[in-house]
Parts: sequence; C-alpha cells; structure tokens
Amino acid sequence: MRPARAFLPPATAFPMQRFILTFAALLLLCRLGISHAADVTWEQDVRPLLKTHCFHCHGEAGEKEAGLDLRLQKLLVKGGESGPAIVLGDVDGSLLLQRITAGEMPPDEDKLLSPADVEVIRKWVEGGAKVTEAEPDVVGDGPLFTSAERNYWAFRPVQRPEVPDTSAEQRSRTPIDALILSANENHPGFAEDANRAQLLRRASIDLTGLPPAPEMLERVLADESPDWWDSAVEELLASPHYGERWARHWLDVAGYADSEGYTDEDRVRPHAWRYRDYVIRSFENDKPFDVFIQEQLAGDELANWTGGDLSEQQIEQLTATGFLRMAPDGTASGGINATEARNQVVADTMQIVGSSLMGMTLHCAQCHDHRYDPIPQSDYYALRAVFEPALDWKNWKSPPQRQISLYTAADRATAKEIEAQAAAVEKERADKAEEFITRTLEEELLLIPEEQREATRTAYRTAAKERTPEQEALLKEHPSVASISVGSLYLYDRRRDERAAKIDAERKQKETRFIEETKQAELAKVPEEEREALQTALAAAQAQRTAERNELLAKYPGTQVTLATLAEFNPEAAAELEQDRKAAAELRSSKSADVLKEYQDKAAKTREQKPEEGFLRALQEPAGNIPQTFVFHRGDPEQPKDVVPPHDLSILESRGEIPENLDSLPTSGRRLAFARQLTDGTHPLLARVIVNRIWLNHFGRGIVSTPGDFGRLGDRPTHPELLDWLAAEFQSSGWSMKHMHRVIMKSTVYRQSSVASTAAMDADPDNLMYSRFPLRRMESETLRDALLAVTGKLNTKRFGAPIPVMEDSVGQIVLGQENLDGERKPVDKVDLNGEEFRRSIYVQVRRTRTFSMFETFDAPAMTPNCDFRSSSTVAPQSLFFMNSAAIVEFADFFAERLLSEAAEGTEQQVDRAWQLAYAARPNESERAQAVAFISTQQEVLAGQQSEWDEARVKREALSVFCQALLSSNRFLYVE
Amino acid sequence: MKQQTTPSAFPFDETDAAPSRRQFFERCGMGFGTLALAGLLQENGFAATGRPHFPGKAKHVIHVFLNGGMSQVDTFDPKPELTRRGGQMLPFDNLQTERKTGVALPSPFTFTQHGECGTPVSDLFPHLSKCVDDMAVIRSMYAELPNHEMSLMLMNTGDMRQVRPSFGSWLTWGMGSENQNLPGFVALCPGGYPVGGAGNWRSAFLPGVYQGTLVDTSKADPTQLITNIRNSRLSSDEQSRQYEFLKQLNAKHLEQRAGESAIEARIQSFEMAYRMQTEATDAFDLSQEPEHIHKLYGEGVQNRQLLLARRLIERGVRFVQTWHGDGQPWDSHSNIKNSHRAVANQCDQGLAALIIDLKQRGLLEETLILCTGEFGRTPSVEMEQNGSGASQGRDHNHWGFSLWLAGGGVKGGTVYGATDEFGFQAVENRVSVHDLHATMLHLLGMDHERLTYRYAGRDYRLTDLYGNVVHEIIA
Repeated sequence: MRPARAFLPPATAFPMQRFILTFAALLLLCRLGISHAADVTWEQDVRPLLKTHCFHCHGEAGEKEAGLDLRLQKLLVKGGESGPAIVLGDVDGSLLLQRITAGEMPPDEDKLLSPADVEVIRKWVEGGAKVTEAEPDVVGDGPLFTSAERNYWAFRPVQRPEVPDTSAEQRSRTPIDALILSANENHPGFAEDANRAQLLRRASIDLTGLPPAPEMLERVLADESPDWWDSAVEELLASPHYGERWARHWLDVAGYADSEGYTDEDRVRPHAWRYRDYVIRSFENDKPFDVFIQEQLAGDELANWTGGDLSEQQIEQLTATGFLRMAPDGTASGGINATEARNQVVADTMQIVGSSLMGMTLHCAQCHDHRYDPIPQSDYYALRAVFEPALDWKNWKSPPQRQISLYTAADRATAKEIEAQAAAVEKERADKAEEFITRTLEEELLLIPEEQREATRTAYRTAAKERTPEQEALLKEHPSVASISVGSLYLYDRRRDERAAKIDAERKQKETRFIEETKQAELAKVPEEEREALQTALAAAQAQRTAERNELLAKYPGTQVTLATLAEFNPEAAAELEQDRKAAAELRSSKSADVLKEYQDKAAKTREQKPEEGFLRALQEPAGNIPQTFVFHRGDPEQPKDVVPPHDLSILESRGEIPENLDSLPTSGRRLAFARQLTDGTHPLLARVIVNRIWLNHFGRGIVSTPGDFGRLGDRPTHPELLDWLAAEFQSSGWSMKHMHRVIMKSTVYRQSSVASTAAMDADPDNLMYSRFPLRRMESETLRDALLAVTGKLNTKRFGAPIPVMEDSVGQIVLGQENLDGERKPVDKVDLNGEEFRRSIYVQVRRTRTFSMFETFDAPAMTPNCDFRSSSTVAPQSLFFMNSAAIVEFADFFAERLLSEAAEGTEQQVDRAWQLAYAARPNESERAQAVAFISTQQEVLAGQQSEWDEARVKREALSVFCQALLSSNRFLYVE
Repeated sequence: MKQQTTPSAFPFDETDAAPSRRQFFERCGMGFGTLALAGLLQENGFAATGRPHFPGKAKHVIHVFLNGGMSQVDTFDPKPELTRRGGQMLPFDNLQTERKTGVALPSPFTFTQHGECGTPVSDLFPHLSKCVDDMAVIRSMYAELPNHEMSLMLMNTGDMRQVRPSFGSWLTWGMGSENQNLPGFVALCPGGYPVGGAGNWRSAFLPGVYQGTLVDTSKADPTQLITNIRNSRLSSDEQSRQYEFLKQLNAKHLEQRAGESAIEARIQSFEMAYRMQTEATDAFDLSQEPEHIHKLYGEGVQNRQLLLARRLIERGVRFVQTWHGDGQPWDSHSNIKNSHRAVANQCDQGLAALIIDLKQRGLLEETLILCTGEFGRTPSVEMEQNGSGASQGRDHNHWGFSLWLAGGGVKGGTVYGATDEFGFQAVENRVSVHDLHATMLHLLGMDHERLTYRYAGRDYRLTDLYGNVVHEIIA
C-alpha cells in the first residue's frame, strides 16, 4: 500500500525535529542572563521562527490570510485586517503576541510555538523590534531572502584558503594536515604513523574493498624505496577492483536497484546493471567527474541520438542517464493510481538529484516553502521543470516503454532473416498439423456408423459459429470426433497405441490358429499308409527320433510348419498376418504430437540464432516536448497553480538561469544546460558535496556529517577551510577522483595509527579533530568480499547481469536462481556455476528482498537512495558469525586454503592465516595460543569421531580455528 | 559528548545564519551533552539500566498490534445512532479517508455491558470482555492520515515519514534490559513482515542493540524461531572452547583501544548472542508450559505468541510487540462481519488469558499491555468502484478510533474520551498518538520531554514537540 500523498496536510508534510523545549527554555534563561532584549533581532532570531510557523498562511506564495503578511518587520508594524501585529516596545499591545500566547495562532495546535520561542518574540518586541538590515519597500509574491540567507556558507563561492604554516614536530605532510592542525588551537597532534602492514590493509580495503593480496603485502614490506607508500597507493588505484569499490559508494547515493519497488510486486529491472557497469568503468578510468555528472544528467542530449546504429560513445552516454531512472518506478505495475505513481517517480528523482549533487533537501519544498532553507516552493518546481520534458507526467512512459534496444541495423536484418526461417518452420508445422488432423478424423470416422460419417465429417469441418443445431447434436453424439484439435492430438496418439496393441494381440492368436490349420491341412495331404508313422514321429521327442523317422518327417515338411515357413505352405494366412503387422506399425509410427514438437523445437532453435538483443535502461527526452511545469498546491498534482520556467535555486540568482528551449538541440536542452552550469566550476554546492563524500568514504565521517543536507538543519562543516580547499583542489585537478585519493592518502591524517595516546584520547575522545585514524567496521558488501578473498574463493569475473537472489525455505534471502514448481514450492537447486562467489556489487539489489547477510550488516534501503550508511552492532550479526551455514562454509574454504598453501604444519598454517586475515604476523604468544587451540581441537575431534581419518580431523580442527579468526574484531574492523 | 570547538578562523562565520538557538549554546559555552541525561549516557553508547526519571509502576510493555486497523464501532465504541440510521447518509459530509465511503453501516455485532464497571464490549470478544475491570478503553484516539504505512510508523515511532527509533527502542535504550541473554526488544510476527517491515521496530539513530529482534512465530520449534540460533556443527563444549579462543583474540585487540566504544559494544553483543543460544531456545520453548496454561490461552498462533510474550516478559524482556500477522490482517475493507469475526476469534482467548495469567503471577502491575491498531475504521460503508456500497466493509479511519490498555498502573474499568454520535471522529478528550506515547512513558517512570537523544546536532525525543499525559487513565 502506498502513502496517499495527496492527503498530506501541508504543515506535516515536512516534519522536522526541533530543539527540545525543556533545554531550549533552560538555555534561553542562560542566554538572557548575558544578553539584553535589544540583542534579539528580526533577521537572526524572529524571522526564522515566523518562517517556520507562520509564513505558510501569512506571506508565502501569495497567501495573506486576514490581510496579514509577516515577511518583513515593517509589514508586522503595518499589520492586517485586525490592525497592527506589533506595537514597538509594547508587548501587551501587540496583537501577534496576544494571539500566539493565547494559543490561537498558529491554528493547528500541533504547530504552536514553544514557550521559549514566544519568549524570543516577546523580548524582540519589548526591545523595539530591531532590524539590522534595510528592508525593501515592497515585496512581491516571489522569494525574499535575507542577507544572512544569501551569505549562508554553502551558498558562497568556493574559495581556496591560505594554507597555514605548521611546525616540523606536527608532522604535517600536506595542506590537508596543515588545515586540520590549525583548525583547532588545542589539537593534540596526530597519532604516530601506522605500521606498513596496517596501513596497507587500510588502504587496500579503502580503495579496492579487499584485503591486500599476500604477494603485495610481502612486496610492500620489503620495499626499501622512500616512495614505497606512493607506489602502493598507485598500485591500488590501478587495480580493477578500485572501480568496483568506489562505484558502490556512488550507487548508494544514486539509489541503484535491480527492481522497481513502489508496489509489493517489485518488478525486476532486467537492464539496470548496464548503468552499474558504466559507473564502475567511469571510476576505473577516472572519468573527469564533471563529465561523469553531465553524462548522468543529460547523456541523451549529449549523444543527440535520433535513430540509426548507436556508437560506443552514444551507448555510454545514454547508459549514464540510468542515474535519472534509479528512483522507484511503479508505473508499469497494476492497481496503482497512475498520476500519483508518476508524480512519485519525478519527486523521488528530484530527491536523488537534490541529495546527491546539491546537498539540499529539495523535497522538503515540494508542498510549501522550505521551512529552514531559502528554497521557496517555486524553486522546487523550477528545478522540476528541468526534468519534466523527459519525465513528463502527462505523457508518461512506463519502464518497458523507455527501453532502448542495442540492435544495429545489421543485427535487425539478421534477426529478420532468422525470423523468416523460423516462420517457415512454423508454417510447415501448421501444414503437418492439418495433415494429422485429417488422418485422425478419418480414423475416428471409421469407428462410427457408416451412415453418419459424411455428415459428421462436414459438421466437424464447419466453423463452430456456422454449425446447424443438427450438426451440433451430431458432434455431441461423437465426442471423439468433436474433440480433435492440434492440442488434443497427443490423446489420439494414445488411442492409436491402444489400437495397435489390440491388433497385435489378435495377430498372436491368429498366428497360433493359422499354424495349426496349416499343419492339419498338410497332414491331410499325406498318404494314408504313412500317416500313422508320421504322426508317431511328430509326437516323438527329439532324442527318440530315429534316422527313419527323420527321413519321414523331412519328406513332409508342411506338417512341421512354423511362423517362419508359413508363407510357403499357406501364403494367404501369412499375408494376412503381415498386413496386421503393418497396420500396427503404421499406428505406432509417427506420433503426431512428437512430430509437431520437433517442428516447434526447430523453430525455437532457429530463433536462438538471432543476435542477442540488449537494452539500455536510459532516459531519453522526446524531441520537441516542452510541457509546462506548474507549482502544485500542497504538492498535489491534481491542483496545478502557477507555471514556472526552469531555474536552479533562486538564491543563486542569475547564475542559476536555464534556457527554456535550447535551439541547437531537438530536445529542450534543459538538463544539459543545468548539468553544465552545475559543473562550470563556480557552483557553490556541487564540488563541496562531492569532496565531502570522498572524505566521508575515507574517514567514515564527512566534514559535513550530513552529506545529503548542507542546509541549516544539516550539520555545519567541522573543517570548513579544508572542505573548500578540497573542493578547489578537486576542480583544479580536472575533477579527478584519483587525484583526490592521492592527495588525501599522502597526508599524515590518513597515514596515522588508529591508536592514539591517552592524552590525545582525553583531548579528542570523539575524534572530531582527527587525532587518530577512525576505526571502522567493514560494510556488508566489503565484509562478504573480504571473506571471499581471504578464503580464496573470490571469483573476479566483472560486469554483466547480476547474481540473482531468492527466498529460501525458511524465508531467508540467499543467492540463487528461483526455481519453483506450479505450487510455488522450491524444486531442484540451480547451480550458479561459481557466480555465487563474485563480488558483492554484482549481487542483485531487489528492493523487497535484501540479501539476508547484507541486511544483517546494515545494507542500505534504497528509499529512494542512501545518503549515509549507518553501522549497527546487534546480536544477529554475532549469531551469523557463530552459527550460520555461510560462515561455516567460509571457514571450511579457509581451512582448505591453509592446508594447501602451508602444508608444512600447524605453525605455518597459523602464520598464513594471520597474514591473510589480518595482514600481519602473529607474535610468539599469539602463535602459541593458536597452535594450542588447534591441537586441543584435534585431540577432542579424534576422540569423538572415531570414523574420521587424520586428514579429516586436521581439516575440521583448522576450520573451527578459522571461524574464530573470521569472527574476530581484528578482521571485521579496519584500523 | 564534548563540546565542539567553534571553527573561528573561518571567514564566513561572521555572516553565517545558523539557527539562533545554536548560538545560545556556543555563547553559553556549553554543549547539550553536559545537560541531557541522554547525552551523559550516550558517552559509552548505552543508556543506564533502570534509571527512570521518577517511580513508575510499569517495567515492561506488551504491545498487541492489531495491524490493519480494528473497527471501533464494532468493538469498544457502541453507537446506537449508527444502528438507528443504518442505510442512510450521515447528517454530515463523510470525512475524507482512503477510499470513498457511503451510508451508515450499523455494526453487525451486539454490545453488552461487562464487569463491575459496566464497560460495553461487543460479542467479538467473549473472553476478553470478562477482563474489562482491568482495562482502560480510550475511545477518542486519532491519527493523522488514513494510510497504513504512515500510521504504523506514527504509532511505532511517533513520526510518519522520517526514519525514527521505535517506542521499543526508546524504551530499551532508556531503561536497559533486565536480561543480558535476551534482546530487550522482541517483535513477534507469524509468517513474515507487517506493512512497513523492519521500520516498525527500527532503532534508527539509537544504537543498533536497541533495535527489535523479529521472531517469526509461525514456526513452533524454538530453534527455528531465531535465525542462526543453533550451531549445527559444534557441541556446546566445543563451541565454548572456540568462544574462549575468540575472546582471547578480541581482548588482545581491545588492549590498545580502551575507549573505543564500538569495539566494546561489539564484544558485548557477541557475548549476548552467545548466551542467547541457550536462553532464547528455553524462553521460546512452550512445551515447558503445563497443560492448564495451554488450555487457558487456547489454540492457534495468536494465542501461542501471547503466551510467548508472557514468557519473555517473565525473563525480563523490556518490550514485546506481537503482530497479528504479515500484511494487514485487520484491514476489513469488505464484509466486516466475517472478516472481523475471524481475526477477533484468533486472539480473543489469548488476550484474556494474558491478563489473567499475568495477574495470577503478580506481573500485571508491572506489565503495561497496549492493544491497538494503527487506526480505526469508518462507521460508513466503503463504496465499491461502482458506488454500490455492497462491500459491507469499512475504510481506514484516522479521525477517531479506540484502543485499550491494561496493567502497569492503568486505571482498570475506565472509558476515556468519546467520538461523535456515529463514531467517526474523536470529539471529546481527544488523544493523539503522541499523548498515548507520553502517557505510556509516564507509566514507565519516564518524562517524555526528558527522554532525549542527541543525534546529528539535535536533540530528539519520541514525542517530538508534542504529547500530554492522560492522567485520567492512570490509577
């Protein structure tokens, strides 16, 4: 069941948490203690309150209930129909305060101002209702921003800050270090550098999502060059696994899924994976991020494809627009409200664009002006106008209708030719079927009274609609004729079998009879005088036959006739038997159903020869489609109001202009224009938002800890200069992701240990100053990939259709191809042929069926996308490590690997295990403990399992050890 | 939580228009964390166990969720006027609900007064009606939208749209668990997920240990109830040895990392999971109950899971939620007579048994039972697409609905609030979901305005900015 969004009352459509009354009141007292009423200003204190609680009916979008507009201080003084809203310095005489205090305003009791808020307004009025900026003389219905809003940090241009000097003992290696050290006067200094092995494990998991290969680990540990670290980073960046790892981060914010969601049906998206592969390749090739974004927002307009064979580049550009097709899309499902469902696709797409590229909660301005950020409702629809020519809710295309075929003209011609061949086979089949029907009909007619045959044949051959009542009756009388059809021929095949069997049985009897009759006839021909002797000879057993008797028998061979010699002595009888044999054979031969199936198979086989037809899940704007975009009253598409032209946020003023229709393109060109101005190097949001995510994925926390919300309700940057430095560096590097990885990873802040001194822990317990490297649990996909890599099972096959997921018999979602019988019960397991060991990014993302292991470890829900992954610690995770079939299997694989790669003995196996799982060598006591554990385990197993041989005992004991290692925090956490 | 140092060197800071209240804190030189109880507790990622704001009677909650929406006019809110005007249009415009509704649909059930208090209950609940002297019925509940998903979220988390912690998560976070071997918050649901899925018991920004653990009660074998609860490979001795070895590995790792709360939390979580293996299979093993108890609760999965709920409460689980089933079993859009009868029959005996059983064990005083759907149903008949009203069913109704509470300091034999004469909309002593939450927390010894958690720079509470305690239903 979907939310009935049309019902949303406006004020609840964006319920945002506010500060808690009790504390706000308490702190207010505190504040008032040190400040005067006169410090309370319109711009800083009062207007934001009225914007949140009152503008909706008094000022916003032309609403001026009771003639009262509260958007300017001077308008409060002027007042509305009931007189001035405030009287300067006169609290009791101010109508605004009277109505608010009495609980009459706002009228919705759930939206009342808190006592602390009221106190702020009271103090303001009392202090003379101060304004700090000159107010305009008139305000239209358009947006009105204060200078505070215009100067909000996230809307100011990115400025590369001066990099401060640092002292040598602070161990600053890069501008990043200097900016972090200087951001806090009391910075306790960075922790010492992590050791090489730890650092390599960190970097390897960070960049490739896999622990370092043992060969690489050994090589790096032995590298004596001063550039060892730079080379290691380069090697990891060049790894094919880098793209798979960092694509995953982008797929989170894009809301990647292999199913449509929206309804319980959750239809599969069969072609979404091409977009996933596009993202992987883009990261792998370090595609400049500005191009990456342009392609995703307007790849179709860049490709400008109007038909004909697609070039490689056009395919790539069109595939990129899959970004705008990632929102849940239920418009091809049944039982939906079409308008609502379409509108939801557009709204979710807007939410994805807003949070992923702009760091703004655009969707909060869908029903009314944004309560906290300077985003009027009209801005939301102005941005929506950028996308509507392609996502036109009035001329909608459902997902199947938006598919783009990858067939070339040559493919199409080949396919057509093969189709013609298949059709010819099907024609043959039809002819053959008609032949069989005729034959069956004639056979069946023979079984009915002769006088009815002709009439029944005619009745059968007459089209059902045209039959006379007599004909109907006749057919009813002879159902075996009436039922003949292509589909029932197999039943007549069976009847023919039965008939053949009957003929055979009769023939057997005839054989005996004919032989006996022939014998008697032959015996009658024998002269009387010899007849008796002959009969005695015939009756005598073989052993008692004398030469004399044999001679006599040989003289009259006809008396000993057999089936083989019947034709010689009784040709008529033999002929009759032969005829019966032929009749039965004829009935048995050429089963019509089998013959027809052969044709069918042949047609199917022929069709298989067609070149495989791939499809793109892309967004392609139809040429010349310029729909009008309306502001929807309260977000309800049934209530369109003003028409708005496309525009970026109006707070960005003229730099946000977007032409309504670009003449140079057959499409509107709006998305291309939007993409270009987003990436022109001067947009204040995009670069900051992207570098913040890069930082987040290296350190587990963004510089702005709310990566999808840079607005006032989001968090402020902890290190604003660093954020701007990174944004500037990103753009000047040509938007190179790999450049940013290098810059960050070469810093001391990245290279430091995750263990800090006690002093540093005290000074910076929450690590807000980055005085140690933050410890992080592996995400669900990384955990599975690491388990695969460590245990030696990883299948590195890249790209292509996803590994399917299915529900198992106890309701867990597992990897597997669903194979259900007619009653939807699982039957034979389908072999995945090693696909089940591929990397997690290739596991099908089914919105209603999250792979259970991923769900246990906090895989994100794509609703519609995921801004930020949470990381929980719950008992089911521990139960997974303790008892799941999956972990036991991984432990077995790991044990087998150790046995084959370190066959020398237990100590070597422990060393190898440490190296693979922890990228480290065990110290003496660790090794001793591990060896002791394995030995005890072997003894116990040998005692308990008498039927196990020594190899089995060793393997099982090692596996129990391996499971413990894989369950340990040192494996699960990246340090 | 330490106060965050202001980035003073940043040139934009002077003109920055951060919310004024943020400035209060900075000017006062104190962070939220030093003030809030929650903030203090949050330092190590856990709330203190059993530190209520004031003494409360209730220590545990059983929330029986009649998901889909129970019809008030067929259960606890008799409306003679509805019967009298059956088949006529209501004298006012039908309030907007999910679908179009038409004329007044009288209840097909008969109401009788019960107990000393005389609270009327319909014949849908022949067993439960005998317990009215222990129950407080609220007839003036209202929610915000006639939509399942959002109303479920509102009932469970106090917020319809944002991902927020559920009541059970707040409670286990605020009060801790009395049994370290079992999860503090258990959701029982036979056969799958209710609408909204795990969102109904999510911990959201609260630490993950406070998330509800779902148990599919359609299976009776205790070892199949919780995923991965049974080790199919090692004997308990062997597993214990393996666990000791793992603990050595983890202790070694922790040595250098004192103060890393995430690592400590994970070690604790592993410990709990380890003990759950025996404790949980024991708790879920109903074969340990004597025959007369099985008889008291009756047959069927609903009654069985109510008995399970009692066993869990007995073992110190803080919050147990029982769901009637996957999807929305109480969602009687058509034929209210048969469909409501069917679902009520499935749980009536168990609900009565739960009250009787807790009482005879002296547990009712400390166990708060809440029985409610996400909303009620319309007194007017749901219109079929052809406008015929032949459905004999009722649409969702968030304007007014009934629920009942029992135990945990609730004043038994109470009826509170009223709907209009047809039972459409709450009109007298209206109770919002926030009010309900505030009242329940109050019974548990928690001030809903003080149970706060700081997240993403803000303090959150279950009741957002709302909620008034309904003192009239408190003993």
